Amino acid sequence: MMAKIQLKELAFARSGDKGDVSNIGIMAKTKGIYDFLSKTITPEMVKAHFKGMIKGGVEIYPMPNLESLEIILRRALGGGATCTLRFDQTGKSMGQILLRMEVEVDQKLIEEAKATDRDIMKRYTIS
Amino acid sequence: MKKVNIGSGSGFWGDLLEPAVEMAERSDVQYIGFDHLAELTMAILNRMKARNPESGYIQDIIPWTKSMLPVTVPKGIKIITNAGGANPIQAALEVKKIIQDLKLGRMKIGVVSGDDILPYIDEIRGGGWKFKNLDTGEEDIERIRKDIVAANAYTGADLIIEELRNGADMIITGRVSDNALYVGPLMYEFGWDYSEKYVERIAAAVTVGHIIECSACVTGGMSNMWRVSERPWEIGFPIVEFYENGEAVITKTPGSGGIVNQWTVKEHLLYEIMDPANYMMPDGIADFTALRLNEEGRNRVRVMNMKGKKRPDTLKVCIGYRNGFIGEGLAFFPWPDALEKAKWAEQWVRERFKRLNVRFEELRMDYVGVNMLHGEAAPVEDHGLNEVGLRIAGRTKTREEAEVVRREATHLWTMGPIGVSFGVPLDVRPVIALWPSLVPREAVRVKSQLMEVNE
Repeated sequence: MMAKIQLKELAFARSGDKGDVSNIGIMAKTKGIYDFLSKTITPEMVKAHFKGMIKGGVEIYPMPNLESLEIILRRALGGGATCTLRFDQTGKSMGQILLRMEVEVDQKLIEEAKATDRDIMKRYTIS
Repeated sequence: MKKVNIGSGSGFWGDLLEPAVEMAERSDVQYIGFDHLAELTMAILNRMKARNPESGYIQDIIPWTKSMLPVTVPKGIKIITNAGGANPIQAALEVKKIIQDLKLGRMKIGVVSGDDILPYIDEIRGGGWKFKNLDTGEEDIERIRKDIVAANAYTGADLIIEELRNGADMIITGRVSDNALYVGPLMYEFGWDYSEKYVERIAAAVTVGHIIECSACVTGGMSNMWRVSERPWEIGFPIVEFYENGEAVITKTPGSGGIVNQWTVKEHLLYEIMDPANYMMPDGIADFTALRLNEEGRNRVRVMNMKGKKRPDTLKVCIGYRNGFIGEGLAFFPWPDALEKAKWAEQWVRERFKRLNVRFEELRMDYVGVNMLHGEAAPVEDHGLNEVGLRIAGRTKTREEAEVVRREATHLWTMGPIGVSFGVPLDVRPVIALWPSLVPREAVRVKSQLMEVNE
């Protein structure tokens, strides 16, 4: 069964800057989710999601070894940290913005992601 | 198997000091790297040095050294720092005084400089090199030449290694790449050179350097693991245990807070890079797409199968140039109708700017609490919000025009809608824009010296 869901449920993200480039690391919560995301997320989709915030191109680099995607957004930070008018000068929020993006996914993968979330809380919480 | 332990003691200018001291006290690291330089820190330091030839280094090096050396010197831990900034020799002279005051005995300080290419940038251009902008593709720096205030190459570990061989107990550098602060000691300890034979090992060193160089950013800071980070207010800084066979373990100061797991290491491997198969550093090109991670214990992640290529023929150079001024203002609006009030205020300010005929290079308005961070990707809706802020930011050619932005924002405080609340006016700031480029390696005149400190 397919469901529409925000990327937030399926992956973690962290973003930063290199000049006017915003780079977003997307970490899939499971191998199955990585396989799905690497086939599903396209540069066009990402650019459309940011609705005009990205003035340059978008590139997506697959990293199967880390079950992650590196997403490069060019001319996305208003000229770069020192001259941008953005409050978030270094693009730390860009990854969180991408987590709003909706994807149509098999319910099975949503359950997998929830299991990873539970496992993280159980495995790493210090009692 | 031979193993070398290196820690990160600082990831940026203004980082915490106590985790660095705790690392020296509680762990068995042989080296601690301190990075204090961001992309345009050099422009600020150059300006300081122009005003006073005895400044231009990161002032933190004084309190940092006073706290660190009494712990590191008796344990033989060597500090490698780029706090020398635009004036590494002066920084070394200050450290020398501290060593003598604290009676720490005889020491040798290796000083690495020569990353500042501004004094001879036109000579390099004369040879036909144009300094193409890596962000915009603009071919030549001619248009901004008269506004350039800094041009520093990100240099490699070559001279750090040389001064360690000369017996340095501490290394102070200028704009050496953050990464080289970690690659240098590893290359020195394992006896590697830049020949074909050690390409993979150096790529591994570049990789682990990248993983730890931002201090707490791999130990639970800025992390998706924020909910499970242990005593985050006592966060520990990262340590890499690097083995002769090219494998490494990422961990942190024993007994410290924070967390190191597969997720925090992944987060940092993905952080602020471009093509992950070609992470270019002055000492080598790392490929992050082949390596494997294994959580081998609490707060211990092993990194294996690190690959890469030989170092590039060019070095990255950060050129900073003057590019106008930014004026900013803030006002906050309380419920009821908070968002509607903010929109009203926006229109008020825009009309004022029109009346005053302010010429903007760029003008931006944000609703704080609604779209300041999420921008156009967020819906602008008022679900009975308790409060909304209006942020006004304008970039102008002149300081006078940026002052208008600041002033009109304050007028909103008395002429805006009911309930408008405000804090303190923000200062106008000059803009130093960044022009990232490359420079041929051999064109950069790096140099080093050994400064002896006697009792």
